Amino acid sequence: MQRSPPRGVGGLTRRTLLASAAALPFALRARAIGPASEVDIAEIQLSRGTISRPEAWTRLLFELLQSTSVEAEPRVVQLAPDDPALFRHPFAVLAGNDALTPLTEAASQQLVRYLSYGGFLFIDDTTGERQSDFDTSVRTMVRKLFPTRALTTLPTDHSVYRAFFLISEPVGRVALHRTLEGVAQGSMHPLLYSRDDVSGALDRRADGSDALPCTPNGELQRREAVKLAINLLMYGLTSNYKQDQAHVEQLIREGRLE
Amino acid sequence: MIVDWLLGGCCGPGGRLVFTTEPWIVGVATLAVLVALVLAAIPRPRGRARVAELALLTAAAGVLLAAVAAPVWIQEGDRVEAGRFVALVDASRSMQVLEGDGTARTEQVAARLAALPPGTEVFAFGDGLRPGVPLTYDAGDTDLGGALAAVAQRYAGEKLEGVAVLTDGIDRGGLRRRVLGEADDVLPRLNGPLTLYQIGEEGGRTDISVTDVRAGGFAFLRAPFAIEVDVRAVGTQARSVPVTLTRDGQPVGQKTVTLDAEGRGTARFEVTPEAVGRFIYEAASPLTTGDAVPANNALSLAVRVVRDRVRVLQVCGSPSFDQKFLRLFLKEDPAVDLVSFFILRTDRDMGAGWDSSELSLIQFPYEKLFSSELWSFDLVIFQNFDYRPYFDNDADELLGNIARYVKENGKAFVMMGGDRSFDLGSYAGTPIADILPVQLGVSGEAIDAGAFQPRLTDGGARHPITQLVGEPSENAGAWSKLSALDGLNLSRGASPGAAVLLEHPTLKGPDDKPLPVLAVGEYGAGRSMALLGDSSWRWSFAEAGEGRGNQAYLRFWKNAARWLIGDPEDQPVVVEANRDNYQIGEDVRITTRVRNVSFAPVADAKVDITVDGPGGRTQLEGRTGADGSVALTLPAADRGAHRVKVVARGAAGAPVGEAQTAFAVTTRDPELEEVEPDSAFLRTLAARTGGRYVAAGDTDAPLRDPDAGRRVRDRAETPLYAAPIVPLAFALFVSISWWIRRRVGYR
Repeated sequence: MQRSPPRGVGGLTRRTLLASAAALPFALRARAIGPASEVDIAEIQLSRGTISRPEAWTRLLFELLQSTSVEAEPRVVQLAPDDPALFRHPFAVLAGNDALTPLTEAASQQLVRYLSYGGFLFIDDTTGERQSDFDTSVRTMVRKLFPTRALTTLPTDHSVYRAFFLISEPVGRVALHRTLEGVAQGSMHPLLYSRDDVSGALDRRADGSDALPCTPNGELQRREAVKLAINLLMYGLTSNYKQDQAHVEQLIREGRLE
Repeated sequence: MIVDWLLGGCCGPGGRLVFTTEPWIVGVATLAVLVALVLAAIPRPRGRARVAELALLTAAAGVLLAAVAAPVWIQEGDRVEAGRFVALVDASRSMQVLEGDGTARTEQVAARLAALPPGTEVFAFGDGLRPGVPLTYDAGDTDLGGALAAVAQRYAGEKLEGVAVLTDGIDRGGLRRRVLGEADDVLPRLNGPLTLYQIGEEGGRTDISVTDVRAGGFAFLRAPFAIEVDVRAVGTQARSVPVTLTRDGQPVGQKTVTLDAEGRGTARFEVTPEAVGRFIYEAASPLTTGDAVPANNALSLAVRVVRDRVRVLQVCGSPSFDQKFLRLFLKEDPAVDLVSFFILRTDRDMGAGWDSSELSLIQFPYEKLFSSELWSFDLVIFQNFDYRPYFDNDADELLGNIARYVKENGKAFVMMGGDRSFDLGSYAGTPIADILPVQLGVSGEAIDAGAFQPRLTDGGARHPITQLVGEPSENAGAWSKLSALDGLNLSRGASPGAAVLLEHPTLKGPDDKPLPVLAVGEYGAGRSMALLGDSSWRWSFAEAGEGRGNQAYLRFWKNAARWLIGDPEDQPVVVEANRDNYQIGEDVRITTRVRNVSFAPVADAKVDITVDGPGGRTQLEGRTGADGSVALTLPAADRGAHRVKVVARGAAGAPVGEAQTAFAVTTRDPELEEVEPDSAFLRTLAARTGGRYVAAGDTDAPLRDPDAGRRVRDRAETPLYAAPIVPLAFALFVSISWWIRRRVGYR
């Protein structure tokens, strides 16, 4: 939702914004009551298979601040899946490039509880390959977490594709699979999975430049990956809000949805 | 003749002799007689005289023994008596309706009865069967089927010469409906041919009546429902009739009903209730000159309006974890119809380089939402929402609408904290400030970002919103175990009359009292709540992390929603009348139950009842007993809808709460719902039973069965033991015996 009418962007370029991000992270915004309640991201780390990309997630939080009304804290914490502190961070990510260490029973139980009571987990396969050990181990992990619910490909009208941007094709650093998969719980998907390395498109070096090139469509694809990442976070906050009747009807009236 | 006298009666042929004494008694008596005869014979000298004497004594003993055996001569036989004729006279109040010439229908009864066969046995029927010609016509029902069944039972086995029924045909016992419905297995069982005399002539009178009002008894709030009104007009040339519908005496609508050939029609009103509770809807057709029964021109119906779902509007200025968890709760509760509007982008977010065509955003329909649509919601939640970017210019009007929505419409409002709420949303001085339970206008910092553990106040310990567990003594402990909150929107303390349920453990306001964290208040007819933080989600998620689930969070919000919307069943004061409709003069019994915030009975509460009706206002007062209830009565004096308002005060005079209900008083007499004789019913009944229908004014004789009659079985018993011949024979034998003894010189 936006105020009507929206105003123009002015003279800012995307590179200017990104360059300034390193110097002025989050300083321009009004703050929520306390940083503890602001949106942040927890990176789930296992002993094997996961990688940490704090710069990617910090960039996502910055993009979120710049583009949306969400109040975010530039905080990325690394947590084990059985760490009780996970319940202080309702939005979590798990990025990896190799076969994951199998979850302990305690870790499995906590992750199930986390996802059942409102937590959100985005799993990102960063290998950029069609088939990977990471993917195999993710599917094994999901089967252990949800024995009766499978990972399924999200329909194109899923809320995550409308959470903030209208997304027709989800891509990351690569564009091999161009879909998101998820595990449903009721009318929502508290666990989403991409195999196109979304965090790779967001990751950057210390000087603020992009860490990895996006293939095959370069910066245009990165822009789409950023939009997808923002939608993922927005979906983690608003869940199926965009499926509410009022929104669907309005979008159809405006010709933005078929 | 002399023989009959001697035998004590007629002992004709075809009879039989029966000894009625037990055989053993006869045996004992025989033995005693034999012994006596032997003893009498032993000392006597022998001779012819002696033999004669003994023979005579033996004969006397035989007579005596015969008497002891108690012989009875029984003679039985059948005979046939003439069949009886039975008449049933309708004694219901509809028989009092005046005919076109001004005479009552009842005046036609005597002439009809006089024309029936002599010896006719007459019964009055209405709500029962009573022997004799009715002296008054005041029965409150007309059950012809029941009356015919009673006659069949009374004369079971007898073939009646005929059954005549004198009635206007306005049967209300079900026979008419069944007969006209052509059900075969429900015709009355008859003992003789049936003749139906119609009393009263059709036509000649004018009557418009509302015969039925249907709505199903209850309706859902804000969901349209239909009220159907059946009308009937007789004696008028009009082909349409206006019908008005009122609710608690206030107009709802008017329809014109087109009448069919029989003068019947139905009006259909669609009504959308805007408040929960019990309401009296009355359908009425206007009185016309000469209306035969004015009382049947209106009919009342009580409708209970309930919520199917609570309609909630959640407006959030910034997606957050607090918004996420509240939406999860509201969205998953099947009793909640949630409409959410989240501000996903503001002026400050326009510099990121995105084209608006890339965005899946819609315009915020604030004008529509806070004007025309507002009234359809039960609860509005402002969650970290700053109104200024959207309707700063219209603030007085749109925020004023919300204030009126609460105060005048009895709806609910919640403000939750954040960096765009309370003073940070510049609500001080706006109409919203008037319905907030905390005082705005903080100078300096409006937020404290320090984490803290909220403390349950004395008020919170009693208030239903903050009851996390069933046992009150464990409630404070339950709150102390919940996760700490991340910060607080500062205020100048609680508003006058508001209740603080949770307070900050250290921060204090200008009045040196702890700053409110959770406060509630009642404003006009509505309620509001302020939660001065944006981290209540931790009561859900952190608790789940501890393995305690999210019940505390769900309970808190369920309690809050229930209290905020003020469902009648969840009010501290509940009032109800024992019926929906009363006849004039009946006692209306009004029961009031008073409960405190923890829903325990409040004893000795003062209850003031105001009953507003067409006849004015009646006031009652009483005090509750130990069970927290009191029942008061008043007579139903005036026709129409009555609204009951109750105000309960505690022993110290402090208000506990208010409640309302409604009842109707009617002058309608069910017996006068129809005034026209129902010749169709009488004709059909006669046709289907093989009987005869005689219209009013016709002089047809009743059907009579020439073979009618009843077989009577006669039985005559002659007790021979008591016949005069017994003592005469006994005395004769003994006397001759005695004479012989004297002649031969025995002593």
